[in-house]
Amino acid sequence: MADALTQLGFASWLSVLIASIIKVTLILVGGSVGMMFLTWYERRSISYMQDRRGPNRVGPQGLLQPISEAIKTMTKEDATPRDADKIVHFLAPVVMLGATVLSFAVIPWGRMFPVDLNAAVLFVIATGGLHSIGMMMAGWGSNNKFALLGGMRGVAQLISYEIPQVMAIIPVVLMTGSMSLQKIVEAQNDFAGLGWYVFSPVGLLGFALFFTASLAEGERTPFDIPEADSEIIAGYMTEYSGMKFAVFYLSNYMSNLAVCFITATLYLGGGNGPGVDALGGIAGGLLSLIYFLLKSFALFFVMVLIRATVPRLRVDQLMSFAWKFLLPLVLVNILSASFWVALLRWDQQWPKLTEWFGAPSTADATNWGRLAIAIVLTLLINAGAVALIMRLTNRNVQKHLYTTDEELALGLS
Amino acid sequence: MLKTEELQINIGPQHPSTHGVFRMLVTVDGETLVDLKPVFGYLHRNHEQLGEVNTYLQNMPFTDRLDYFNSMVNNHAYARTIETLAGVEVPERAQYIRVIMDELSRILNHATAMGFMLGDMGAWQTALLWGMREREKILDMFEYVSGARMMCNYCRFGGVVRDIDDWFITELKKLMQGLPHYFDDFEGLLLNSEILLARARNIGVLPKELALAYSVTGPVLRGSGVAYDIRKAEPYAVYDRFKFKVPVGTVGDVYDRFLVRIAEMRESYKILEQALEQLPDATGGFINPKVKQQSLKAPAGEAYARVESPKGELGFYVVSDGSGSAYRYKVRAPSFINLSALADMCKGYTIADVVVILGSIDIVMGEVDR
Amino acid sequence: MTLSHLATEDVFVVERNDADFRAGQGMTKGLGIVFRKFRKALFGKPNSDRADTEGQFNVQYPEERLAMPEAYRNMPILLYDDATGHELCTSCFQCERICPPQVIHITQAKDPATGKPVPAAAKFVLEYDTCMSCGYCAEVCPFDAIKMDHDFELSTANHPELDVDYNRLLRPVSYYETIAPTMWSDVKEQAMKKLQNNIKRRPGDIGRDHGQKIKGGAPVAAAATPAAGAAPAAAAKPRGPVAAIGKNMPEDKTAKLLAIRAANAAKRGGGAADAAPVAQAAPVVEAVADAPAAVSAAPTGPVAAIGQNMSEDKRAKLEAIRAAKRAERGE
Repeated sequence: MADALTQLGFASWLSVLIASIIKVTLILVGGSVGMMFLTWYERRSISYMQDRRGPNRVGPQGLLQPISEAIKTMTKEDATPRDADKIVHFLAPVVMLGATVLSFAVIPWGRMFPVDLNAAVLFVIATGGLHSIGMMMAGWGSNNKFALLGGMRGVAQLISYEIPQVMAIIPVVLMTGSMSLQKIVEAQNDFAGLGWYVFSPVGLLGFALFFTASLAEGERTPFDIPEADSEIIAGYMTEYSGMKFAVFYLSNYMSNLAVCFITATLYLGGGNGPGVDALGGIAGGLLSLIYFLLKSFALFFVMVLIRATVPRLRVDQLMSFAWKFLLPLVLVNILSASFWVALLRWDQQWPKLTEWFGAPSTADATNWGRLAIAIVLTLLINAGAVALIMRLTNRNVQKHLYTTDEELALGLS
Repeated sequence: MLKTEELQINIGPQHPSTHGVFRMLVTVDGETLVDLKPVFGYLHRNHEQLGEVNTYLQNMPFTDRLDYFNSMVNNHAYARTIETLAGVEVPERAQYIRVIMDELSRILNHATAMGFMLGDMGAWQTALLWGMREREKILDMFEYVSGARMMCNYCRFGGVVRDIDDWFITELKKLMQGLPHYFDDFEGLLLNSEILLARARNIGVLPKELALAYSVTGPVLRGSGVAYDIRKAEPYAVYDRFKFKVPVGTVGDVYDRFLVRIAEMRESYKILEQALEQLPDATGGFINPKVKQQSLKAPAGEAYARVESPKGELGFYVVSDGSGSAYRYKVRAPSFINLSALADMCKGYTIADVVVILGSIDIVMGEVDR
Repeated sequence: MTLSHLATEDVFVVERNDADFRAGQGMTKGLGIVFRKFRKALFGKPNSDRADTEGQFNVQYPEERLAMPEAYRNMPILLYDDATGHELCTSCFQCERICPPQVIHITQAKDPATGKPVPAAAKFVLEYDTCMSCGYCAEVCPFDAIKMDHDFELSTANHPELDVDYNRLLRPVSYYETIAPTMWSDVKEQAMKKLQNNIKRRPGDIGRDHGQKIKGGAPVAAAATPAAGAAPAAAAKPRGPVAAIGKNMPEDKTAKLLAIRAANAAKRGGGAADAAPVAQAAPVVEAVADAPAAVSAAPTGPVAAIGQNMSEDKRAKLEAIRAAKRAERGE
């Protein structure tokens, strides 16, 4: 965009500035409108699951409900507790929202990329990590016990779940050979736009693990422990009202949206789909955007479905789930991803492979033999790992899931 | 040795999951609960004193306000007490009507109580709203016969205030067509959900001995493995004519209470079926016409009558001095007595468990504080 | 610690499925059920029947409303007769006495001429904010004057407004008939009978001077009595004591009572009949004649409301008393 502006006769610094401002505005507006739509979407669909109707008064089908609520929250009194750390209390929502908005910079909208970082995956994870700082600031700055508990829970949860989340992406990076989201999307364009990673055993397990870990990162049920309303009221948001609360809310939903976008990009082929390449040009771009949004909102629907169905975990269960269930599986998945890459790409170091199955595939000619053996092998590894971990978890569950008196006594002595 | 500082937190009286104005003063070490002190009385409104000032009939609508989920059961228990005291005969049809209302109350109470407990557990509101749907249907029928949805004020001494008619019976039959689907959905939704199992199994264990020592009753006691149900132990009304079973648990944890309640809903359904079959025709009347409702005077003496309320043993104790109002009036509220076991059930578990355990006791503050 | 009175066949142990292998199948089943609900609610018909467990079940309140059952009770209201404008309430204080929260406050109307109580309420205040809607007042009212309304949209920002006075409590009988037709038809006849009986004992506008009703004459009475001159005058005429014979009294006792009353009246003399003892005995009065007869007969004399079912000798006795009284008054 900056190039186009320079061609129009703007000074180069000015054209860069204008282009950046336009992009930032688009991201902010897109993110906020997306978030508003998301709240309406969630409330309506969860209502139908619960046999009721949900917001249907403001605007057609209640579509303008989020706007009326935005106005409501903004006109509410912005109360700060007397003994709160005023600056920290004020900055916490800003940090939260800032971290979320940053991650939108690299998210591809179909085939349109605001910024194509060559380490976009890393960038997304890094900005996601900033959330824990905002949470801790809110929890500590509010000077409220519930907020403090919520902040502590939130930080512990985010830090624990970042590990399986990052590691669940590694297979994708391995399979693509790049950390650029654009490259990842392009790599999933085989088979007439249906070569999504989720259709491979490695990608399937990776998708499940990444999505689960992302639920925890986005504080969605069953991992909404930092803001568990029935236990600690609203967690770190307890002392927030009015505009600041709205900002937290905005940041929460925007990060959920970001999670859906990134999952769709990493595992569901982003904007790829049948017909995109055939159409090409602007029409193809639009079709890819539609595919992308459909995939993302389908993912969000799964989030809503989960929210409507399952209770939330307890803190210790959350931790043991992350460390004892997700982490081993993620490690195994990296292993099978390595096999996958080895089988599909590797020929110099293992000439026998080429001798038996032919040369590794290129973009247009797929080596079916290698593909078949890779699928069978990774499927075996992954399925075996899942079965093993499930068995171990079951044994643990049947033994004890709660603190015994002896453990309690030890902990307190 | 590393020592962590304990934190004291007030859960309640304004808190999303204290089921009314109930305060728990908890001491936590991190997330683990060290001590819990229940504080109540925020909803105290002098019920028992009022019962001594009002005439017997005047007190009936006040009993609605005890356990406001099951006003029908409260009315029944109170009417039974005064009937015992004054020696009033109740026509058979009225007994059946009372049983039908009691069992409908039990279904709606368990449906919502379990919904609230799952809500506390974080299962948003799905189970609760499905329960609410069934509750609405039942409340509509209560409204039809009694004039009010929750504050029914339906029983009178020697019967009920209004007979049930064909409309009611047709609608009840329709409702009963739908109920099994609701039970199935509810069980399918969460009964075996892995997260529910993790949250409910072996949480809030109340051993049998402790339960008996606290004189806990109702599903909480049965969840702890004691098969005690007043409908069986001391059959009142016409409960001895029905075939039903008493579900009991084995461990006494949240999960057992949950299972016992679901099983009880199914048993209530069976009772309803049989009651509808056996319901005598209207010739016997639905109220004893000889009783002077407004100026009922009971002979001097005392009476205690109890019923199996959905929450446990609900009893009214009335001493009469021969005048038109009670000399002494006392309510044995199941919620209150079940709540006294809370601290022992909660110690050693985490804050997240405490709200679930509280939800599994199923309290109503109107009854606890009176 | 045994509770052995429960037979073992009466007890069953709930199944915990502790040993099952858990691989997320329970959660998946739950998700499936929720998704089915979603599908049914989105594409299916709304939940209308009591047997339905699927589909949306909520009612869009201000536009859609559930039909109120007749027995529904919200706040008490007082009824008045559409035709005559007379209120049904006779201030018998039954409701005030039974009211558990004691929110009903009645002042009895007095005849301005004599200062004697009249079977009508001068003031009637009901504290809606404290009323617990138990419905006892409607249950005990012997005149079916107080009934439970179905209007529940009573919220207001002005708290004192909730002390509702007589004017705002009054509703026409026709209104109650629309909200509770069968309940009213059950009691209509006796209520109207009692009302007609009471009207006779209400001098002037007493008993119909509240609310926004049409005033200036009792239509029915006026139409039925063209010969008697001005309707108010007819209404103002003191009613004879015989109008208020208790329904439960045995007949000879009634006759005796009538005789005593007549004698008393004679002793006191004057045109003002002593309505006082009658009014005090009012709570259980019931006109012995049917209503139209009473109305048409009213102007011919205060004693018109003698029941047709009285035996002949009693009738004769009564006629004698009446004659004596007429003589007393100088008619």
